[in-house]
Amino acid sequence: MIDWLSYSFLGAGIFLWFWGTFPLLGNRSVLFKLHGLSVSDTLGSMSVVVGLLLKIPGEWPLLLLAILSLAIWNTMLGYVLAYCSSRGRSDE
Amino acid sequence: MNIILIAMVIALLIPIYTAWHDEGIWQKMLALASISIKASIMILVISVLRDDWMLGVAGVISLSVGNASLMLLAHIMKRLREQQL
Amino acid sequence: MNDLYLPVIVALLPLVACMLVAQRNPYHALVIRGVLGAVATLVYALLGAADVALTEALVGTMLAITLYAIAVRSSLVLHLGVLKDESSGIEHFQERLKDIFSQWHLRLELTLYSDASELHQALIHKEVHLTCIRSKSTENERQVYHARTRISRIYDILRKELSGPEVTVTRVTVPTSGKKPS
Repeated sequence: MIDWLSYSFLGAGIFLWFWGTFPLLGNRSVLFKLHGLSVSDTLGSMSVVVGLLLKIPGEWPLLLLAILSLAIWNTMLGYVLAYCSSRGRSDE
Repeated sequence: MNIILIAMVIALLIPIYTAWHDEGIWQKMLALASISIKASIMILVISVLRDDWMLGVAGVISLSVGNASLMLLAHIMKRLREQQL
Repeated sequence: MNDLYLPVIVALLPLVACMLVAQRNPYHALVIRGVLGAVATLVYALLGAADVALTEALVGTMLAITLYAIAVRSSLVLHLGVLKDESSGIEHFQERLKDIFSQWHLRLELTLYSDASELHQALIHKEVHLTCIRSKSTENERQVYHARTRISRIYDILRKELSGPEVTVTRVTVPTSGKKPS
């Protein structure tokens, strides 16, 4: 039961990765790609880590640290990249 | 688990192609962010697969350092652009 | 241990390394260096060397890229010497130079000098790469710019890009037995 749950979490995470990464190939604006990428990467990675946590609960402090750093750093990185890229554009 | 890792490698190949092919510097930065997060998560998956604590610590540290270095690089790039133009 | 993913992930490393070598723009190459660092961390961790992976992530990705960004910025610069009282009237020509040298990823930096002999001395003593003097042509009232350089590569680029009656490009040969060797 738990095995199936963890595999479904892993599969959902990888599906989110693909869903967020495919817009990178298109010709959309940077901010559109950044939005899709940051949302899907953060959620997909967190889902993968939750799947791993269900699979091996022994490493829970590490995986909890991974989830926390993903949640905090990735949102901040999204903001920083958006700020820098939009400022760089308005100067051009 | 084998299939999952192969799928992750394919997901990693898409931003690598973007980083190679795309022209704008910010598109490359986006691809770099994506690649660094994905590589760190892959290290975590491998550490769980092998039940190895040391790899897990390396994965978590590279996750957080990769994010921090990206922010640093983004700010440096922005400052360089402002001085250049 | 017949893991299928092992050769696939290890093959990413030479792929990214070839991408890094093929880049022409130095700033793009820096970003690809970050990609290479991430992939190298992954490969080292995969092969079981957690300490090497950690070092690569800390030094190779974070420190090296930051230091190289600053090094590239401060080394890819072209020093242009102009006269102090002409510096306001030269902006049009300066924009053209900036356009030309941005193809080669060079940045233009202005240095002001008070008179022409001082400008020439600066060129001889390798303080500037290129000097620019403005003068009025006698037969028709047009601005003429005289650009002088001592570097043959810059001379070639300027000869190719700046073709017109209003610009003259000359190359100055610097005596090698000067006070400052190279």
